[in-house]
Amino acid sequence: MPTPLELIRKKRAEAVGRIIGKGYLSTKRVYVGMATCEIAAGSKDVMDVFQKAVSRGLTDVYLSQKGCAGRCNLEPTVEVIEAGKSPVKYGRVDRERAQQIIDRHLKNGEIIQEWVID
Amino acid sequence: MNVTPYRIILCDGTACINSGARALATALREQLERHGLTEQVTIGLSGCLGMCDKGPILVVNPGYTIYGRVTEKDIPEIVQEHLVKGQPIARLAIQEDHLYNRFFRVFGDAKFFGKQMRITLRNCGIIDPENIDDYLSLRGYEALAKAVGEMTPEQVVAEVEKSGLRGRGGAGFPTGRKWKLTAAEKATPKYVICNADEGDPGAFMDRSAIEGDPHTVVEGMAIGAYAIGASQGFIYIRAEYPLAIRRIRRAIDDARAHGLLGQNILGSNFSFDIEIRLGAGAFVCGEETALIHSVEGARGMPRPRPPYPAVAGLYGQPTVINNVETWANIPVIILDGANWFRTVGTETSKGTKVFALAGKVVNTGLIEVPMGTTLREIIYDVGGGIPSGKCFKSVQTGGPSGGCLPEQYLDTPIDYESLVKAGSIMGSGGMIVIDEDSCMVDVARFFLEFTQDESCGKCTPCREGTKRMLEILTRITDGKGQPGDIEKLERLGGMIRKSSLCGLGQSAPNPVLSTIKNFRPEYEEHIHEKKCRAKVCKSLLHYEIIEKCVGCGACRRVCPVGAITGAAKSRHTIDQDKCVRCGLCFNTCKFEAIAKA
Repeated sequence: MPTPLELIRKKRAEAVGRIIGKGYLSTKRVYVGMATCEIAAGSKDVMDVFQKAVSRGLTDVYLSQKGCAGRCNLEPTVEVIEAGKSPVKYGRVDRERAQQIIDRHLKNGEIIQEWVID
Repeated sequence: MNVTPYRIILCDGTACINSGARALATALREQLERHGLTEQVTIGLSGCLGMCDKGPILVVNPGYTIYGRVTEKDIPEIVQEHLVKGQPIARLAIQEDHLYNRFFRVFGDAKFFGKQMRITLRNCGIIDPENIDDYLSLRGYEALAKAVGEMTPEQVVAEVEKSGLRGRGGAGFPTGRKWKLTAAEKATPKYVICNADEGDPGAFMDRSAIEGDPHTVVEGMAIGAYAIGASQGFIYIRAEYPLAIRRIRRAIDDARAHGLLGQNILGSNFSFDIEIRLGAGAFVCGEETALIHSVEGARGMPRPRPPYPAVAGLYGQPTVINNVETWANIPVIILDGANWFRTVGTETSKGTKVFALAGKVVNTGLIEVPMGTTLREIIYDVGGGIPSGKCFKSVQTGGPSGGCLPEQYLDTPIDYESLVKAGSIMGSGGMIVIDEDSCMVDVARFFLEFTQDESCGKCTPCREGTKRMLEILTRITDGKGQPGDIEKLERLGGMIRKSSLCGLGQSAPNPVLSTIKNFRPEYEEHIHEKKCRAKVCKSLLHYEIIEKCVGCGACRRVCPVGAITGAAKSRHTIDQDKCVRCGLCFNTCKFEAIAKA
């Protein structure tokens, strides 16, 4: 009989496996804020832009929702995380900015400084 | 030379400063200059990172390499090996997979976030709250496994007691002691309850915590249930939070599907499950005995204590009731340890506190800082100060039950005792910054209007007393204040405080009493001079058209009562008898020709 700790470690390994199976190891991970406050600021539109881009063939990107990071006045927020690079945090993202993030950052690796939260 | 743009974060917590962190910054700058790296490498400061025994701490991003016990003579090596050659230095690196402050890995290099320390909100904003795999991958439910697998219930209670954790709902009762009292009761069944009935105006800590990381609350409750011997838990959450309800429900279902709730959790003898109860939004239901009545299906009204819920709570059985934030601390205490938890905070208040920072501050948001952080650090370092060059006037902590503190209290370190000493309370974590444009009498009236409206009516002091206080305050802001009103407010407030049945009434006078104490001249001006210095109270101000008027007629057209007259291209005038002080003309004028006085 495995101990609870052994069981939970197995569950953890399985969970990591499932996340990787969903593309976690893609070059870029994109997190879109989807708490009540973010949604009220318009993050559903933002998520929609990213989801459409993925369904239309944007590859090597792992798209996820996330909770509120706490930066109310700059919402909706989007993070782009890439191994070996500092996480990039964008604020006040709308449909237009989301599309630009896809075209310039995700496809061309350009960090759009003016929208970065620092 | 092609170098990765690095960002170095130096821990600027007290312990690290004492062990020489600030000298490192100087040494670092020298070395960066020597290597010509000042362009590519930026240096930032963070708040306490919670690794005080290994300080000074230096973090290199990207990569999130943490260096501990760094001395000035290590700096050339860090610059040469890590920054120039890209080889992290194993000798200095701290390899730890702690739960706390995981958030920092993604957000730590931004000033607003880096000054914070996140324990309860550690996963908020970095994981998908609707995917249990995300939580599991960050050592989720490992604390529960450790508790049921390797600790006795007594050991769990002892660990929580040792941590020094106190209830985050406002009153600050030691959580471990509450658990110990409930565990000692013989009667069964026992219950655990999560109080997610967040009702303070402007507060959104619990909502964000549940929406961002619901499993933490579920795990914390399961550990608490194991510790006290309960097999049933309830989450009482207000129906106004549909997304939070959906996510906590999903979390409970997923946990059950993984065998983390239900019968024989993780193969142990411990069984536990959680049900959700929706509140209809009455403020008084945040009070524990009223909340328990509401869960039972009765009207949400408080009852006298003792007996405390630890002895006779839900359905008359021993019950532990804790706030969302309190529960969210539990997994961290179990895995990172009470000894670590005790290193954060002040003598009497350990750990961190979440605040909903709102009002007249540049960076509004949800923040979590170590206890002992001063109000000034929160408002100016994290919050970025007051917008549009206005002056700070007051900070209101503790929501409608708290007090307003003026500038001389800005260096008050946040903990339960110091805030009470200063004349306010911790409360559940609302923090509203007020600038010179707000009238303190009006602020007090606003909060009292809220509590008066939310009074359940069971006890007379709260029901009648708040009503009378509100009448007096309204009279003062209407310009009909009478000599002696301030003293009446003080006397009534003192009586309500002493004789009300529950916390709602006992704390309802706080905003009024604290503004009288700290801003008495404003009350006196309202009453004796019929003057509102912030120009907020409508009845005490009037509008005038000054020389700048070009006679465009915009104000005349917008005035709803026809109080403004004047010929085209000549200065207009306002008939003060007709004017209702709606302010439309003031907002409409493009020439700043209308003055408030």
